Amino acid sequence: MPASTPSEPTAAPSATEPTSSVAPEEPLSPKPDELDAAGRAEYLAEVMAEIDAEVRHRRASGDLPAGLERELDELFLEFSPVGLQGKARLRENLALVDGAAYVDIAVPVKSQKKIGVYIKRLIRKSLNWYLGFIVHQVVKFAWAVSRMFHLVVDHIEDLEATVESLRIPELPATAVPVTDPGTSWWADQALAAVLGARGRVLHAECGNGSLVSRFIANGVDAYGVDPVETTIEPAIERGLDVRAEAALDHLEVVAEEALAGIVLSGSVQWLHPNERDRLIALASSRLAVGGVLVLHSATPEAWRRSTSPLVADLAPGRPLHADTWTHVLAAYGLSRTALHTGGEDRRLDRLATSNTDATTINAAIDTVNDLLLGPGEYLLVAVRDR
Amino acid sequence: MTTVHQFVPALLPRDATGDHTLALRDTFRNAGWTSNIYVEAAHDELLTEATYFEEYPDHAQPGDVLLYQLSTASPVADFLLGRPETLVLDYHNITPASFYEGWEENTAEKVALARRQMAELAPRAMLGIADSAFNAAELRAFGCPETEVVPILTDIDAWASRHLVDAAEAARLKESHRTGARLLFVGRLSPNKNQHLLVEMLWLYRRWYDPEARLALVGPAITGTYARAVMEYAEELGLSGAVDHGENLTPTQLAAWYSDADVFVCLSDHEGFCIPLLEAMHFDLPIVAFAAGAVPETLGQAGILIDSKRPSLVAAAVHRVRGDGSLAEHLAEEGHQRLDAFGVAATRARFIEVVGGLEADRAVSA
Repeated sequence: MPASTPSEPTAAPSATEPTSSVAPEEPLSPKPDELDAAGRAEYLAEVMAEIDAEVRHRRASGDLPAGLERELDELFLEFSPVGLQGKARLRENLALVDGAAYVDIAVPVKSQKKIGVYIKRLIRKSLNWYLGFIVHQVVKFAWAVSRMFHLVVDHIEDLEATVESLRIPELPATAVPVTDPGTSWWADQALAAVLGARGRVLHAECGNGSLVSRFIANGVDAYGVDPVETTIEPAIERGLDVRAEAALDHLEVVAEEALAGIVLSGSVQWLHPNERDRLIALASSRLAVGGVLVLHSATPEAWRRSTSPLVADLAPGRPLHADTWTHVLAAYGLSRTALHTGGEDRRLDRLATSNTDATTINAAIDTVNDLLLGPGEYLLVAVRDR
Repeated sequence: MTTVHQFVPALLPRDATGDHTLALRDTFRNAGWTSNIYVEAAHDELLTEATYFEEYPDHAQPGDVLLYQLSTASPVADFLLGRPETLVLDYHNITPASFYEGWEENTAEKVALARRQMAELAPRAMLGIADSAFNAAELRAFGCPETEVVPILTDIDAWASRHLVDAAEAARLKESHRTGARLLFVGRLSPNKNQHLLVEMLWLYRRWYDPEARLALVGPAITGTYARAVMEYAEELGLSGAVDHGENLTPTQLAAWYSDADVFVCLSDHEGFCIPLLEAMHFDLPIVAFAAGAVPETLGQAGILIDSKRPSLVAAAVHRVRGDGSLAEHLAEEGHQRLDAFGVAATRARFIEVVGGLEADRAVSA
């Protein structure tokens, strides 16, 4: 096995002894003409559910280490020109330009027949003056283009160096608190939003999978993804369909309109603006029309006052106000249908009206409450309507 | 008398668009209509079937309908834009340029040009015919005022009768492997077809279920950089001896590859129709396919439609259809019913109805 082959699964199956699986029971498959269209669809849905169960079983047994599939994808990129990023790709193509910039007029004169060599030599010699004139100009142009490309690449590299010097350090995964979304204040509202969904519901970043469990217990066909492998271990042990993937990576490989619901929580609120737009575009396209998007976020005010310094300083983006999210989602065909507020609430009590200064002081308290101390989190529900 | 002339960039034998164009010409003629084929280029075998497109003005008659087989960039599109006759588009899909970017810039530019031509032609066409609802939606998005879905004319039974399997090729394939599952995908080696994901799936499938399993990729390596990357990737994963590539196959040789396979797996990101699905159904092959583009509507319930390309899910689905004879039988039955829906007689009648209807509309509006 080559050194760069993806990491071996724990308790890797032997190359000659395939590991056991959830063996397909020898079922009594119905013949199509014995079932109506709905019955046939139901039968295939059952088969699909068993296939999903098989993958979960493999994952739980250690046959499918978290991150293995991502490693495979990354390995393929090493063989693709699109995999060479930035500097390497530019330099590689520049080398191709340089290599192609020279035009050789010494046409080969080899021939299987001796006379052929003489004839070819004669043609080459008689045309040299003509081709030489043309080729000289072509090469001059090619070198000018090549020189210009070198200048452009040098300039880009200078810019990259400048951008790199401005980059903030990456937020360590350990700095992000492990979430238990199933016991949070917004779990009931999230459940109500996806209850009755006709299809799979994804919870991205699902933390320990507790919300996925609640969804399943209430008849919702739910699964989850989370980029932190250690976080999802308890969920995998419970046999849940939970995968160690970032939401963006996962949604990239999901078919269009394949999901009935998506719950976004965790670091989604502080994604870089570019990534946030990409995520919403993907989520919208992966939702079926009528599908539900549920989004949990801290309010910008609570973010400033309650988030750990490391997260607050190093997160690539910042939470948005609920109304801003509504605007962003609408651009992707998602209409807000509900907004719930909750979480930490530090609002000051108003003075009793019997106090002579109550009116003035209460107005000030209201302003402070609204600006700084209101509900710390919100849950936004939207529906894909086009 | 109705006159419908077809325009096609290239008329090639053993090619889906070429076969469709010829069959459609015969359909129109059998209906008593006048119908000829005008091309930018034709294969030597078909030179007598077509006329160079710039010669059309010499033959033009009032009331002609011009039907353009739209699938690639061509000067034929610019020519048709300048013609006053009624224009009908028969759209077979153009792969978006984004799939080729970084792989082959030339191809990316060519398909981008084809889409620009489509954007100019679509609003100008009186009718757009698409071989799938997916393609029809693209036509409408490009401004085509009216669309109809009519399947591509492909006579699967005539093309790949079991009796036409190349015996020597079948024996050669059988000799090259003894045990193990044989997984097949048919389609050009191209980034939108995701053959590299099939290689990933094979790697996992061999580890989990069947160390002798093999993958056959049949189709021209049109995107050379991608084809090389797929093969190098297979080698890196230790699968170079387990991945076979077949190209330039005759129909009977292709039939041998289908007959040799156990499961047909399709992980394409973009398919406008996907004829190989029908071919696989014809050969009773259980199908596992990623739900993208027109695949769900072509496949119907005649295969396992998966919503993710993760190799673990694909491998488990392949294992299931291969290990469950009863399911495979069910899918084969469904496949036969599905093929009936694409029956050539019904499709011919539908073309006459749709294009004939256009003629009636013109008469009313006149």
